Amino acid sequence: MKHSGKLISVLVPLVSVMMAFVIGCAIIAILGASPVTALQALWTGAFGTARNISTTLSRATPLIFTSLCACFAYRCGVFNLGGEGQFMMGSIICCYIATRTGLTGLPAILLCLLAGAVFGGLWAMIPGILKVFRGQNEMIISIMLNYVASLFMSVIYTNWLRDGTVPQTAAVPDETRLTRIFGRATTGFLIALVVGALIYYFLFNTSMGFQLRAVGLNMTTAEYNGFAVKKYILLSFIVSGAIAGLGGSAELLGTQYRLISGFASGYGFDGVAMALIGQLHPLATMAVAIFFAALRVGSTAMQTATGVPTSVSDIIQALVIVFTVAGLAMVKLPSFKTALARLHMKKEAA
Amino acid sequence: MEELLRMEHITKRFGDVYANRDIDLEVRKGEVHTLLGENGAGKSTLMNVLFGLYQPTEGSIYLRGQKVRIDSPAQAVRLGIGMVHQHFMLVEAMTVFENIILGDKNTKGIFIDKEARKKEIVELSERYGLDVELDKPVTEIAVGAQQRVEILKALYRGAELLVLDEPSAALTDLEVEGLFRMMGKLKEEGKSVIFISHKMREVMRISDRITILRDGRTIRTLDREATTGEELADLMIGRELVPSQYVKVEQAGEPVIALREVDYHKTSKHNGLNGVTLTVGRGEVVGIAGVDGNGQSQLAQVVTGVIAPDAGSVDMKGSTVAQFTPNGFILENVSHIPEDRNKMGLVGDMSVKDNIVLKATGDPRFSAAKGFFLKKKAIRDHALAIQKKYDIRCASIDQEARNLSGGNQQKIILAREMESQPDLLVAVHPTRGLDIGAASFIHDVMIEARDRGCGVLLISADFDEILEVSDRIVVMFEGQVMGEFSGKEPPIDQISLAMAGK
Amino acid sequence: MDMTFVTNLLLASVHMATPLIFLALAELYSQRAGLVHIGIEGLAAIGSLTGFLVSYISGSPMTGMFLGALMGILVNMIYAYATITLCAEQTVYGMIINIFALALASFIYRVYFGAGASLAQVNLMSTLSSALGITSDNFFVELLLDQTLMVYLAYGLVLFTAVYFNKTKSGLNYKAVGEYPKAAATLGINVIGVKYVASIICGALAGMGGAYLTTCYSTTYVDGNVAGRGFIALAAVIFGRWSAGGVLLACLFFGFCDALQIRLQISGSSMPYQFFQMIPYIATVAVLTLIGAKKAGPKGAGKPYRKEER
Repeated sequence: MKHSGKLISVLVPLVSVMMAFVIGCAIIAILGASPVTALQALWTGAFGTARNISTTLSRATPLIFTSLCACFAYRCGVFNLGGEGQFMMGSIICCYIATRTGLTGLPAILLCLLAGAVFGGLWAMIPGILKVFRGQNEMIISIMLNYVASLFMSVIYTNWLRDGTVPQTAAVPDETRLTRIFGRATTGFLIALVVGALIYYFLFNTSMGFQLRAVGLNMTTAEYNGFAVKKYILLSFIVSGAIAGLGGSAELLGTQYRLISGFASGYGFDGVAMALIGQLHPLATMAVAIFFAALRVGSTAMQTATGVPTSVSDIIQALVIVFTVAGLAMVKLPSFKTALARLHMKKEAA
Repeated sequence: MEELLRMEHITKRFGDVYANRDIDLEVRKGEVHTLLGENGAGKSTLMNVLFGLYQPTEGSIYLRGQKVRIDSPAQAVRLGIGMVHQHFMLVEAMTVFENIILGDKNTKGIFIDKEARKKEIVELSERYGLDVELDKPVTEIAVGAQQRVEILKALYRGAELLVLDEPSAALTDLEVEGLFRMMGKLKEEGKSVIFISHKMREVMRISDRITILRDGRTIRTLDREATTGEELADLMIGRELVPSQYVKVEQAGEPVIALREVDYHKTSKHNGLNGVTLTVGRGEVVGIAGVDGNGQSQLAQVVTGVIAPDAGSVDMKGSTVAQFTPNGFILENVSHIPEDRNKMGLVGDMSVKDNIVLKATGDPRFSAAKGFFLKKKAIRDHALAIQKKYDIRCASIDQEARNLSGGNQQKIILAREMESQPDLLVAVHPTRGLDIGAASFIHDVMIEARDRGCGVLLISADFDEILEVSDRIVVMFEGQVMGEFSGKEPPIDQISLAMAGK
Repeated sequence: MDMTFVTNLLLASVHMATPLIFLALAELYSQRAGLVHIGIEGLAAIGSLTGFLVSYISGSPMTGMFLGALMGILVNMIYAYATITLCAEQTVYGMIINIFALALASFIYRVYFGAGASLAQVNLMSTLSSALGITSDNFFVELLLDQTLMVYLAYGLVLFTAVYFNKTKSGLNYKAVGEYPKAAATLGINVIGVKYVASIICGALAGMGGAYLTTCYSTTYVDGNVAGRGFIALAAVIFGRWSAGGVLLACLFFGFCDALQIRLQISGSSMPYQFFQMIPYIATVAVLTLIGAKKAGPKGAGKPYRKEER
């Protein structure tokens, strides 16, 4: 019994990925293409050349931020589904600083990143406060706030910071953009890695992180053991929002350069899904984000090579999520546990 | 009288805990049959089996001589079994009327024929003297009225056998009289009642026969006429006066904690405290005896800072407590073995090791740089030492705490709470559901702590446990202190009377 | 401001409100059985695509509507199985349905029409007045007759829902499942069954709400055409305090906001129209903040129901 829990937590996502790929391949075959060719193209497209790898890492960067955002909040037992809104709020303030204040270069970059994190954190404070002081459902509120943020961003690029006839903002000036360190991957990717490592260290190597996890796993026990439960919940919201906001800044300065319709759309929910598949482990979560980015980047090559539309890759991604979360719920069922225990007993008896 | 219900060899297991073991019960037509037993004796579980909420692990049920399988409450209702649960099953967002007709399958039609249904209900309520206001939301009526609604619900569905799970617990004396009249009326009509209670006076008054359960087993079934309250109490508690193996202390040290006239939700008889004055001194074990749900949980929460009293004062080592927070009490060196180890004591998803150091990760022994660097090696060494010292049996200290047996889980909590060398230990039902070995180990540790000068407040519904380790016994009833008795030669009859509120 | 502006605005409000009504009722039926569903957006997307595709192939918007509902049910069965049988976290799984259904809809469209194909168009469902051959500019005639069958159905459903939850035995039992499933079970109500039925109703209504967009509202399909309506529907249920009548009023109000912002957008007003679009979301957060957690919806909502629990 000792390691079966950990084994299952690795097995469930792996089996889910396999099932998703089997279905994906079946779809590809039905569409008249060779699954082998398609998968090869997918792989090459994502990791085949240094340039492709860099594209994958660049695409993974915002996903890492939003998935870490979800991961951190979940660790404290709260469901922050508002990563997208917090990401956008970060990018909005970043856009303002980068294009309107006249600041350029490193000072502008540092200020942008800091302000992005602060704004993301403040935006996340709203559901946090309502949760802690009004007992409200943080999930519904954070979703509603996603739309508010998204519409606010729309005001920004269609009105307030609009530049020219097309509804979009001005581009971040060249000298304020993040440095490309490797192909398309920028320092933004490095920042994401550092944030992930810091979260990992915080959660598993500090007393506060330990207590935060305890709050997330059993709030009553945490309270009885003297932990400041409300403080941790609020803190987890703010930090989680700050991570997303920082990601918003990094994405704007590193990849997108301007706010435009569709910016960051879907990143929030994707992030939550990746955190779940990564079992709320920050390092695993980052790996999952890179995996999903690879599926997205590689799908273009797959389309070119086989004519199968890129959205097959979206289906595979969605199925991975569908299976993993259902699988994780299943293994928690008492009946499943009993069955597992029985299996063990039989094995031991044999 | 002819037999209505027979339950044979009923066993119900949850995981590795037996709630019912080989229970037999026979109920006749037109009788009030009492199930008597302490908390945790298995009464509610047995009734949930009867009502189809639980499936028995083993055993069979016969109704009117026919073997039946009751796999859902719907099936139980069809068979004419009605149940009034201890925790009412009322939908708060609905009115009394809606609650009564909910799930009704006897009437035809799609729409609710309010007038016709109301007429039926009014007839029923008049027949049994169950007075209710049909159009009020259930949240706006008193507890006694809510119970009448529950009984009406069962009768409305044509119950021939009515199970009342501790019905008098929440009632005023007047309401109890009404309840008894109703039960008498049911008897007259040839219906049967299973009455669950541990109030001896009521049991002796209303029952025809009494079945006593203890530790999940049937002890005996007796005719009311052929027994006495004393005999029943003896059988229920199962006490063969074994002298305590511990030396009792008669003179305690200076007070560690002193409560003066503490109130908390004073008007609630079962979840409140009413003018509680209590002192625990250094080097003594004060046992709080009493039937569960007479304010003991609230007492435990006040003396550990989880809740703040509404009135009165609490002195901790001579100074008055101003702020009630668990952390404040922990800093005052108060340890707590909470009543529900899984919900309040352990983080089940964390490892044994993590649960052992749960409170102490900020301690310089286990972390450096103000907690920003956990000394994992030190934590592991400490956990291993503790595991050995307290004989915590687990495959590894990295195993998740939830997978351990109850006794070993409790030892983790005990270890964690005792290692801080507390000045006050609050232990609530510390041995509930544990085997004898684990229980006596926990008692030994408590006595050791006492001998070291720690004040121990033991709250337990297990009377044997109270007698075994308490130096002083305080009885609680409906949120009040009913009396204080020496633990050295405890006057058992007096204590029993106090527990029943006299 | 002339009269035509006002009447047009009102007419547009009714148009904008109709899909919201379907989606909000879907949410209402789900929540009343204790299932909080944030995946209505995704169900609507797949319903929208199915409605479009079927009416494109068959030429019959009605068939499209029907199969849209069916597809909504199918996809919602995934949600139902995961949350009811496997006891997965409802909100999380609703979110997953969004991801999955949106991907599925987009994929089917790509496969059928090919990437970068010219925009396919379908015929819309005809209105009652055009079916009857009535042409009139009279506001009331337009309001009452120049509507598709679906509009009448939407209002009929609201009425039905109000009666069902308040006057029928079955509706009472249904509500009990969402409020206190254990109590419902002790009264012989099949809790699991009701929850599955709820998921079927929810899937069908959400699919129809989505299909409305491509069979009654717009002649084309584009990814993301549901445009947050699934979440506005969630907002409408909260804003309408979980009652059919309240939901209707909320939908009309949100529909009005939507119609107004479109007018603003077209007229090129300097006032950012997005602020009007924000109203449903901000109103919901405000309502939730004011009413507090205790009164927020069916008490059993969001919690899994396990049969034997100690």
